[in-house]
Amino acid sequence: MSSNSSEDAITEKILNIAKKNPKGITDKDVAATIPELSSEQRVMMINKLLQQGLIDLFKQGGSFIYRLKTQSSKQAVKGADNEEKVVFNLIEEAGNKGIWIRDIRVRSNLANTQLNKVLKSLESKKLIKAVKCVNASKKKVYMLYNLEPDRSISGGAWYQDQDFESEFVDILNRQCLRFLQQRADNIKNNPRGPIVGRTQSYATAAEVQKYITDLGISNVKLEVEDVITILNTIVYDGKAESSVYPDGSKVYRAIDPLLPAPGLVQVPCGVCPLIHKCCSTGLITPQDCIYMNEWLD
Amino acid sequence: MSHQLGRVVSEILHRYFGEIVQQVGKDLFTYGSKPISMIVKTTGLPRAQVVESLRTLLKFHLATFEPSSNEVNADYKLIPDNVLLLIRYPRYLLQMKSKYGSEAELLIEELLQQATCSATILLVTIAKKYKDDEVKNITMSKLKDTFISLATAGYIQQAPVEEVKEGCEIPTLVPVATIVPELDTRHLLHAMTMDISEITDNVYWEVNYDRFHLDFRDEIMIKAVTRRIDENAGEMLQHLLRLMYLTSAPWAPESNPTPVLELRECCQRVAAEKPHLNQHFDQYLKVLEENGAGFVRRCGEAGGGQYMVRPRQAAHALLLCTLEHCVTERLGSNAARIFRLINSKKYIEEDDIQKHAMLPNKECKELTYKLLEEHFISVQPMRKAASAGGLAKAIYLYHINLHEVAHTAAELCYRALHNVCRRAAHERRRHARLLDKQRRVRTIVHGMRLRGEPQPNIDDVEETLTPPELAVLTSVEKRLKQLSAAELELDRTLFILKWYFMYP
Repeated sequence: MSSNSSEDAITEKILNIAKKNPKGITDKDVAATIPELSSEQRVMMINKLLQQGLIDLFKQGGSFIYRLKTQSSKQAVKGADNEEKVVFNLIEEAGNKGIWIRDIRVRSNLANTQLNKVLKSLESKKLIKAVKCVNASKKKVYMLYNLEPDRSISGGAWYQDQDFESEFVDILNRQCLRFLQQRADNIKNNPRGPIVGRTQSYATAAEVQKYITDLGISNVKLEVEDVITILNTIVYDGKAESSVYPDGSKVYRAIDPLLPAPGLVQVPCGVCPLIHKCCSTGLITPQDCIYMNEWLD
Repeated sequence: MSHQLGRVVSEILHRYFGEIVQQVGKDLFTYGSKPISMIVKTTGLPRAQVVESLRTLLKFHLATFEPSSNEVNADYKLIPDNVLLLIRYPRYLLQMKSKYGSEAELLIEELLQQATCSATILLVTIAKKYKDDEVKNITMSKLKDTFISLATAGYIQQAPVEEVKEGCEIPTLVPVATIVPELDTRHLLHAMTMDISEITDNVYWEVNYDRFHLDFRDEIMIKAVTRRIDENAGEMLQHLLRLMYLTSAPWAPESNPTPVLELRECCQRVAAEKPHLNQHFDQYLKVLEENGAGFVRRCGEAGGGQYMVRPRQAAHALLLCTLEHCVTERLGSNAARIFRLINSKKYIEEDDIQKHAMLPNKECKELTYKLLEEHFISVQPMRKAASAGGLAKAIYLYHINLHEVAHTAAELCYRALHNVCRRAAHERRRHARLLDKQRRVRTIVHGMRLRGEPQPNIDDVEETLTPPELAVLTSVEKRLKQLSAAELELDRTLFILKWYFMYP
């Protein structure tokens, strides 16, 4: 019993030194602080600590150094074996960006089957989770269970369970456009002059964001940047143009295309999927083209 | 000079000039330039027919000739662009009618039919033709005035004259400067009584297509600005364009700078009709510059500011708009989004397209590849030079080569135009008998009416067309009308493309 309590005291002492030097302590430091310990006992104590996973052992310039392990990881891997610890550490290092299974395998030097087993057991303990990456659908990355995935992994507001919500984006796109179109006609024959009219027809991203938030169609909180992304898609749809105010904020204005639909797309040939196979003779000819028949009747 | 262009040109020649001219034209198109004997050889037509066809082609400026290397024979060459203009004739007439009234329309119509004609003969023929027409009420003095104003405005010009150089047997056509003629109404009235062969007027006139095209161009630009801003801005652009004609070459890519003062004067002159424009002159100018799709640019501060019109930029913007419409209709609006995105980013990677276009990965990729397949976008692989290991990934940059895409669109237009022409010809051929019958009945009825025969007799003749036949005829007429409307619309698209190609 007494030996046990004395051991505890020594352990406490060693850990204290380690805490004070987060960069790590050498064997000599330990010897200097606890001179009453014989080298044999010291080795025993260190081994015990290592076994408990309280400290890490590193080799630096020919001498060993001991470093205190962080609290969370110490608790997390309680009762885990060595492989699990290694894998867990790798995943922890990756932070909220996550780490790919192949990288874990390479860096941990574990065989594939074994690694899978380890990952599965860690997952079942709710220590880590697998997150699907939005950029590559097949690619899974692992990260600690309590972390929120990075935007580059989860894709931000436009992704639900790593699936792109195109319908949501479409609805937002339409609503934003409607908001812009409500203002657009102000420029035409404005009694107060075209510049006032133009200013009235412009909408800043913040205004659009407020409109969208007030509509309540989104249960996700949309930032101004998100709304700008949506507004840019409207610009790429050719239904709005963007400009910059002197204070640097971006403004948008709904516009009509310069031309009405040109003749090319008014005839069936302009939109015909078989146009490149259409010849003077053969199966597809303008004389007995079904599309043309439909158009003419 | 594509295969598609050849097809449409041959189809048009067939419609307006018949089979023989078509054969000669097609031959010339395929082989470039060649002398008569070679045309005879390849087409297998009799020499006289070939000569006759060439004469027709030359008369309507559909072909040119130049001395070959031995300076004795002439080489003939087809001008496909002019053949395409045949389709545009109705637009010329409409333009004339809306701008100068029906006399001008008649003049241009007659001149287009004659290709070249002297002023006296032209006026006399028209006056004779409509002598008895009470509705139009054509008088010689009105015709003469219209002719002179058309010549002044440059819609008609003097035809080039032939000139034989020394030591060369082939004449060359030399353009001459147009001098507005002094026509005397009394002389013209006197000429009415003479036989046409006795008239000795040897100054020949022809239609100046280019002048019409400038009108079309201005109209497109003004309409575009009106759509984008409002009528007042359109009006302002019109004044700017008018001032541009005074100082710059009409087709110049960018006009010479126009001082604001002159423009302000123009707008003040129309202040009564457009008080709004006059009141907010400076604001309109600013908005036109900033939001007018780059048609107008401020280029200096001298004299209170100077502005220039930029037809090249306008052609560019309008071409893009046409292409976007085309992509939208062919591949959907999401593809058009990708198209515009690539255009605005110049060079872009596939991943970035997905990020900015906000489309699901799969759809985005599919659309991008489809755009690539239809030659609306191009791809530029960037390979890293000889890096170790086979893992070096190439970067694929998507971009738009506008010139190439414009050619793709032009090809599409040619194809569509050919199909429409062919279809119309097919419809006509299929119902040739009925159409012919209808024509005959009409002439007979017309003749009977003139002779004043009793109504029952006329009805008898009219009833030879049975109701089912009449039903077929109306449907055919409707189809043909739709097809010719489509031709005109396609021609409008081609006009924008041609305008873009004008600026290298």
